[in-house]
Amino acid sequence: MMFRHSSNHRSVTTAPWQLVCGLALGIASGLAGCGTGPKAEFSYREATQKLIPVARKAIKDTLEDGFGTPHNLVAWERFPVAYGGAKASVVAAAEGVQPASKTISVSVEGDVSKLASGASVLWLTGTRAGEKAAADTVDTYDTKTKTLTWSGSAEPAPGVGDVLIVGFGHALQKGRAVYMKNCMHCHGVSGDGNGSTAQFLNPRPRDYRLGVFKFTSTLSAEKVSRDDLHRVVKYGIPGTYMPSFLLLGEEETKSVVEYVRWLAMRGEFEKRTDDDLGDFTEDSIVDTVKKSKTAFDAAKVAYDATLKAGDKDAVKPDAPIKLTDARKIATEAFAKFQASDLDQAVEDTASFLAEAWTRADDEASRIAPTVPRVADDAASRERGRLLYMSDKTKCYTCHGLLGKGNGAATEDFWKKPGTEELYPRRGLHDAWGNPLQPRNLTLGQYRGGRRPVDVFRRLYAGIKGTPMPGFGKTALKDEEIWDIVNFVMSLQYQSPQPAKTNAGGHVVATDMPEAK
Amino acid sequence: MGKLWSLFFVFSAVIAVALCWFAPDWNWWFPGDGKAHSTLGGKIDDLFHLILIIVAVTFIGTQAALGYVLWRGATIKPEEKALFSHGSHSLEVIWTIVPSAVLLFIALYQLDVWAQFRIKGAIRDSHGKMVRPEPVAELTARQFEWRIRYPAKGKPLQPQPQPDDIYSVNELHIPSGRPVEVTLRTDDVQHAIFIPELRIKQDAVASLKIPVWFDALENRDYEMLCAELCGWGHYKMKAKVVARSDADFDAWKEQASAEQFDDGFRKPAEAK
Ligand code: HEC
Ligand code: HEC
Ligand SMILES: [Cu+2]
Repeated sequence: MMFRHSSNHRSVTTAPWQLVCGLALGIASGLAGCGTGPKAEFSYREATQKLIPVARKAIKDTLEDGFGTPHNLVAWERFPVAYGGAKASVVAAAEGVQPASKTISVSVEGDVSKLASGASVLWLTGTRAGEKAAADTVDTYDTKTKTLTWSGSAEPAPGVGDVLIVGFGHALQKGRAVYMKNCMHCHGVSGDGNGSTAQFLNPRPRDYRLGVFKFTSTLSAEKVSRDDLHRVVKYGIPGTYMPSFLLLGEEETKSVVEYVRWLAMRGEFEKRTDDDLGDFTEDSIVDTVKKSKTAFDAAKVAYDATLKAGDKDAVKPDAPIKLTDARKIATEAFAKFQASDLDQAVEDTASFLAEAWTRADDEASRIAPTVPRVADDAASRERGRLLYMSDKTKCYTCHGLLGKGNGAATEDFWKKPGTEELYPRRGLHDAWGNPLQPRNLTLGQYRGGRRPVDVFRRLYAGIKGTPMPGFGKTALKDEEIWDIVNFVMSLQYQSPQPAKTNAGGHVVATDMPEAK
Repeated sequence: MGKLWSLFFVFSAVIAVALCWFAPDWNWWFPGDGKAHSTLGGKIDDLFHLILIIVAVTFIGTQAALGYVLWRGATIKPEEKALFSHGSHSLEVIWTIVPSAVLLFIALYQLDVWAQFRIKGAIRDSHGKMVRPEPVAELTARQFEWRIRYPAKGKPLQPQPQPDDIYSVNELHIPSGRPVEVTLRTDDVQHAIFIPELRIKQDAVASLKIPVWFDALENRDYEMLCAELCGWGHYKMKAKVVARSDADFDAWKEQASAEQFDDGFRKPAEAK
């Protein structure tokens, strides 16, 4: 499974978690017992834990093959993640260069410094591509002559034109280090939004594992783009505990964004595979047994009745299925499924995700207004206000007549998505099941960014993972959305001023008298 | 044994003095290049040095006296009689009056710097003229970041947010070379702005808007920190002060404003 496809994915690190921890905590690690603490582990979804043992094992194995563990990341190449490394190709051999003795001339695109001694060498094409050469590393690289010597087996010798990647997975490793130091305590090792500080925060840190992000520039059906994540990391999410990481540096930010995307892919991969295996849960077995018992009881009553009526030919109903038998049947069924269909299911999920995440960065997925912002005047705001109050948008039902975020919908009981079941408490919930307040629009706080285009995109595509719907394309014309944007963005400046800014009574005057 | 102890105590005092003497060479002294980069900062450093000298003289004097007394005690001959000075009225008077005078001197001497920093709301410019600083930004500390609001280019800062205000996070932009005022507040608990190289430190207190006056002498970035233990993420409240010439400051405002009011519309030709 590891190399399902030659050079499909590849293990990139073995650095122990303690190292990352040690970096973050310095000498404190010795005292705080960081080094002796539990090893960092990717957690599994509840749905995975509920599967029958064989199915659970299959999922866990698949995940470990495809993504590894926090100590030993696996970069599965088919996912559109910039795993890092320098790409090189073998060029016609210069004098004294003998592929047979493990020396080749290469032309490198990208960062030559990645070609340091000891860096991993991954052959993408040619005779060495695939499993056999998995353990190659750079022995020496001569920047002058552009010759590279690798350590590993000499045979088979590579040919001109073969493509290799040096230091593959470098960016992912870096992303992990940045993530463990800055994000893990809120977002959790697996990106499940369950870090140690998470329990104290409202809203909760994002659980990446649905592959859903709220503040995106992409169409409603698309995933989040790299640019969006980059913005979120750089500027934070005002009004929440997601802080700004402006001073992190460009390279760190980029690599942590890749790591977040990778965690999101891993999480959604698990979720979708869980969904595929939905029949193989302990619960469904118990359910089957229960149903069989009920059916038997009903049949038995009918049978007894017919017997009493004197019908000698009545067929005795089969005994209800026993729990152990049901388990055995499910296990066998799973074995069959695993032998015939699991690989295909995994394959489908992987290509679905790979396509979706690739598309997210396409220009075509980005929401770009077709008209410039409509002049922000009283007439436009009034048109916006009427739209806000209209039944076409129903903004007021959630955000309230005055935009205070207290519309009638916050008093309703809402259905859990995809079910008939109601949430136990009133008000809105997001896709993660957390209670959610529609925004108080009079505070001028824009979590997704305060540029007019940000608010435009919120209204165009809605806020993903929340009940806030999108209105673009069909319900509203771009001009109309701009009118609403103008109206919404003016709410903050309407008198009376929101109490928040002049709260507290005792405010030192900042306009001091002129000093002489 | 007694001799050894008296030498030991004298020796530790010598080491302490020597360490302080060499500290600047080892970069154990003031942050950055060791110089204050604001007008008032230089005066604060002068005060610091004055107090350091007073303290150093006192420290060396008392340590020398202590060493002498210990040495005398250790080498005293059995037949020699000790001098009993306890309760000496003159001594008590001397060591009450001398330190009081020193403290009073410091209290009066530093008044001007203190007043400039906290009360006068103005700082002397390089020509010695008092100038009323202009409020350039409202700096709001929150767990665990700094959010900053500026008036639009050419406009004064209003106490309430304005539609054309400019926002930034963790980056405080100020014009350099002249005193500015920053209005400091907090969204939640107590924080403190600390710009070590400008020698600026001021608590942010809930419900107060505290004016902070300072200048940055050079066009460069300065580190800014939170100096009040404000929660588990306190260490994350690292930011920077970006001090630039008036022209660059205005240029930044224009650029920030253009970015902030971007409507995302691109004519087909310029669309990427
Ligand atoms: C103090 C806790 C905390 C830390 C540390 C933190 N986050 Fe967050 N993060 C949050 C919270 C809370 C949210 C959810 C905000 C919301 O729902 O509006 C969030 C949301 C996000 C989102 C989702 C944005 C969206 O559009 O849905 C991303 C991506 C993210 N964080 C990335 C990071 C990265 C990367 C780091 C580390 C560099 C990090 N976070 C560190 C608390 C934190
Ligand atoms: C079904 C309820 C619902 C409807 C209808 C709705 N919203 Fe929202 N809206 C929400 C919720 C919930 C949030 C908060 C989402 C979050 O931050 O997780 C929100 C957030 C917002 C935000 C804040 C975006 C940001 O960046 O912080 C704006 C602006 C907004 N809505 C405007 C509107 C407008 C205008 C309409 C009508 C065209 C509308 N909403 C319709 C529920 C709704
Ligand atoms: Cu703080």
